Amino acid sequence: MITKFALTPLSLAFALSLLPAQANEAAPSSAALELGLTLDGGFSSRDLALGSRERGFSVGHTELSLGGAIDPAFSGRATAVLHQHEGATELELEEAYVETQTLPAGLQVRAGRFLSQIGYLNPQHVHTDDFSERPLLYRAFLGSHYFDDGLRVNWLLPTPFYWQLGAEALSGKTLTGVSETRQRVGAYTVSSKLGGDIGTAHSWQFGLSYLRNQLLGEAPAEEEEEHVHSHEDEHGHSHAGSYQGRHLYLADAVWKWAPGGNNRERQLRLSAEYARLAQPSLAASKDDAHQAWYLAAALRLNPQWEVAARLDELKVLEAHDDHFHKGRLQERSLALAYKPSHFSTVRLQFSQQRDRGGFAAASNAVSLNYTMSLGAHGAHAF
Amino acid sequence: MRSKLAALLLGLAGLPACAALNVFACEPEWAALVRILAPDAKLFIATHAGQDPHHIEARPALISQLRQADLAICTGASLEAGWLPLLQQKAANPRVQAGQPGLFFAAEQVELLDAHQHVDRSMGDVHAEGNPHLHLDPRRMLRVAQALSTRLGQLDPAQAGVYQQRFGSWAEAWRRQVLRWEERASALEDRALIAQHSSFAYLWHWLNLRQVADLEPKPGLPPSVVHLRKVLQSAQQAQPFVIVQTSYQDPQPARWLAGQIKLPVLSLPATVDSQRLDLNAWYEGLLTALLNAATPAGRS
Repeated sequence: MITKFALTPLSLAFALSLLPAQANEAAPSSAALELGLTLDGGFSSRDLALGSRERGFSVGHTELSLGGAIDPAFSGRATAVLHQHEGATELELEEAYVETQTLPAGLQVRAGRFLSQIGYLNPQHVHTDDFSERPLLYRAFLGSHYFDDGLRVNWLLPTPFYWQLGAEALSGKTLTGVSETRQRVGAYTVSSKLGGDIGTAHSWQFGLSYLRNQLLGEAPAEEEEEHVHSHEDEHGHSHAGSYQGRHLYLADAVWKWAPGGNNRERQLRLSAEYARLAQPSLAASKDDAHQAWYLAAALRLNPQWEVAARLDELKVLEAHDDHFHKGRLQERSLALAYKPSHFSTVRLQFSQQRDRGGFAAASNAVSLNYTMSLGAHGAHAF
Repeated sequence: MRSKLAALLLGLAGLPACAALNVFACEPEWAALVRILAPDAKLFIATHAGQDPHHIEARPALISQLRQADLAICTGASLEAGWLPLLQQKAANPRVQAGQPGLFFAAEQVELLDAHQHVDRSMGDVHAEGNPHLHLDPRRMLRVAQALSTRLGQLDPAQAGVYQQRFGSWAEAWRRQVLRWEERASALEDRALIAQHSSFAYLWHWLNLRQVADLEPKPGLPPSVVHLRKVLQSAQQAQPFVIVQTSYQDPQPARWLAGQIKLPVLSLPATVDSQRLDLNAWYEGLLTALLNAATPAGRS
């Protein structure tokens, strides 16, 4: 067998003559398996209350994502995230799902581990954000971004405008930090998204979503407990939300404007979300609720420069014996981003926190971060 | 009542019940071909001449339109790589998924200029498959139209003959028109020009024009001062007669350069007008603008 493939000058020439032809053919179908790597890191002057970036130099989420079509009926994706926590490097599987492509009537089913589609930012990857930290709402209620194991069914209605209805059944474990439970489904979500264009320059999207936490009151796993109950000096190691509740109601609105529709040159993006996390404990009533909202604006001045500003507020109820203490945290962020190409961002951000009760860890921070991607770079959602 | 319900369910299921074809065109030039070959088709055009087709957002409005489409006709060659795959994923429309007859890529019907065997990001936004802006070559447009007429016949067999017939009569007129344009454009032969990006490369190739400098330092990156200074130094000896850019590109860099080397700037539409969808008028306009710039005496 070996002698048959020995490198004679003739066979070598033959092999070489094949090479360019193969390369040529391979080029157009490079989408077979997309491999993408996102690098993120930087320097932060101080820790923020409920922040995820450590003081000093640090590497943020290093994301490795693989995906593509499995066959005409299914596509799939897996995303692994490496991040630093208290000196140790941790590897986490953030996404590992399969999704249908060919169901009729606008139906789509996704199964596995994925980012829940509640709210505006949650289904989006963190590296596409306009700021180096997610809004307080996400950091306090959803562990920055909520991904979980489960099943999703979506229906895109045949309307002239965009209207999607969706439902998810999830384990609830990453949200609550509970690892042992008798519940088969730990969280349910339902959501509705509407969207469209107005003329050539304006586009909008409006969403409502609801999450029901079935695991409220169950004991979180030992190592997670500390994180669930203390919100001071936390680094978002655990993906459990810092604040828990039975019912999470979310409303989000996005409006984008680009002169003449030419969003590459100039664009204004406004987004706002409001969340109400009701019934913080089994003993609490439905009227007791944590609340959070943010309002963000990002302006693309030209293809390479963007400025963004965000106002955040978080109001919480801290359980003390048989009653609640009110806590309130405000945050203001201003970011300047330089994007030499579509694949690289360097961001200077100033964040100012104000303690309005219960948040002694509130502080101000200046940070300089980079977010860059290699290889296949999934398109950004609206 | 029951029939009404059945009709509603059918409607919801999105079945193309003998109705006109629902076509999603990624760019207006392909919509113009659809208008010629299938004038009755319901047509949605995702982009317009004022937008950079590389950088379109996967907006909700586009998702809902792609969900309804029987046919999506796009350029391909990675031009829409930043938004079409996401639209396809979100639209959950089995008719327009990869490999289905309902997805038509113009770039797959013709040979492309500047195909690369090796591409990496340090080269800028270079497409391995080749330059995707093929709609600026009228001869390639002809071949795309032919392939499209066949595809339409596949999707709508009852009318296959009609599509062929429409292509035949349009092609005849188009060929004669191309000859007339080539004759008129002979004055442009071998002239040098400066342009931004490779947007018009097929037009230069067709008319034997030479692009001696690009305002972009690398494909897809915006012009920088450093690079423009280099262009200023190097391009002058080639004696370019004009600086050309597309109507969606920022006019400032071209204007700055034009002020330095005393050249006219042409801001030309990179595609056909979305309202009129008139390919002839668009080509005619490009040619007239270039001829006017090349022969200053002929300016009105």
